[in-house]
Amino acid sequence: MMKQSILAGLMMAVLATGAIAHSKAEDTTPANEAIVTTVEAIEMRFDDPMRVTAITVTGPDGDVAIERETGMDAVTEFRAIPPADLPAGAYTVDWRGLASDGHPMQGTFGFTITN
Amino acid sequence: MEGLAQIDGWTVAAILAKALGYGAALLAMGGPLFVAAFPLAAPDVRRFAIRIAVVAAVLLIAVLALRFGIRAARISGMGLPGMVDPMMLAFVWDSPLGTAAPWRGAGVVLVLGLLVPGLFGRVAALFGPLLIAISYTSVGHSLGEPRWLLAALLVLHLLAAAFWVGALAPLHHAAVGAEGAALLHRFGKAAAMTVPLLIIVGSIFAWIMTGSLSALFATAYGWTLIAKLTFVSGLLGLAGLNKWRLVPALADDRVGASDSLRRSIVFEATAVFLILLTTATLTTVTTPPINL
Repeated sequence: MMKQSILAGLMMAVLATGAIAHSKAEDTTPANEAIVTTVEAIEMRFDDPMRVTAITVTGPDGDVAIERETGMDAVTEFRAIPPADLPAGAYTVDWRGLASDGHPMQGTFGFTITN
Repeated sequence: MEGLAQIDGWTVAAILAKALGYGAALLAMGGPLFVAAFPLAAPDVRRFAIRIAVVAAVLLIAVLALRFGIRAARISGMGLPGMVDPMMLAFVWDSPLGTAAPWRGAGVVLVLGLLVPGLFGRVAALFGPLLIAISYTSVGHSLGEPRWLLAALLVLHLLAAAFWVGALAPLHHAAVGAEGAALLHRFGKAAAMTVPLLIIVGSIFAWIMTGSLSALFATAYGWTLIAKLTFVSGLLGLAGLNKWRLVPALADDRVGASDSLRRSIVFEATAVFLILLTTATLTTVTTPPINL
């Protein structure tokens, strides 16, 4: 019972903190909080090589399928191509990565597409 | 607060696992050092030290495997399934944690040499602490520049810390009667050399990472370091109390001396636990000011 309570507490902590997690703005294209009419590419620039291990783009219709131009190698410039006909609305990009010193990294940025 | 990474549930799990790993590493390293430094300690105290080191060495490997899983989960963004994702685990293996793993594994095998009867096992086991300490030089903040100085400082810091931490439980076990007082007195004399070394090399490392006094008060790294130093001060106070008051009281066979000393050693262990927790926080979510 005690163990179950601890486990439940830990799960709550995971879910709660995960939901409210935010990160500082990265050097990105589109820039964080930018308002744009089209998005030709999603780009992120890093000071040191970063292996971007996961990236998700979420829009008004849910997850957006993007095509990674950058593979799984560590890079200072990451690039992915979204579909051409993205509908207007707010978009969020969440990424995870592994820095060259082994530290796991993560970040979030958002932009809005208008007609 | 500058230089503080995003913290979520997985980050907390990573900090706890890393602190547990630090504790297991110091106990596994400390056993062979204790046995070598105190050949005249009572046989049951030496056996106790060996048992703790062996259990800690096995735990160290289990925690390393857990940390691989937690790191894979963190970089995958997939949650629990990410812990066993082969591609993510391969990325972690390719990272500095993967570089550290064979050194740490070899160190553990050597520490298990304590189980081999005779001098050969004891001598082989003495190289275990060195390899485990070296494994920590291939990860994290010690990868900065000047690389070799930072690595040397870290190895000395860990060996001196392991000598202390690994001795706590055997000394707690031994803290009865005149024989126990003699062992604790000898430990106090050895610690008079290793503790200043621990503090000096730790301070140089911290100074290289921080760079200035103002950075100490302006960054998450600085404030976490201050928290660590607060607990370290408490530990030093307890060590002084033991060396100059409680151990002489035990040697004089005063009433209650053994209980007071044992209680004080438990407080020391608690301070060590807090130090390891703040160190794990320091190395997981803060960026050294020189890298900002």
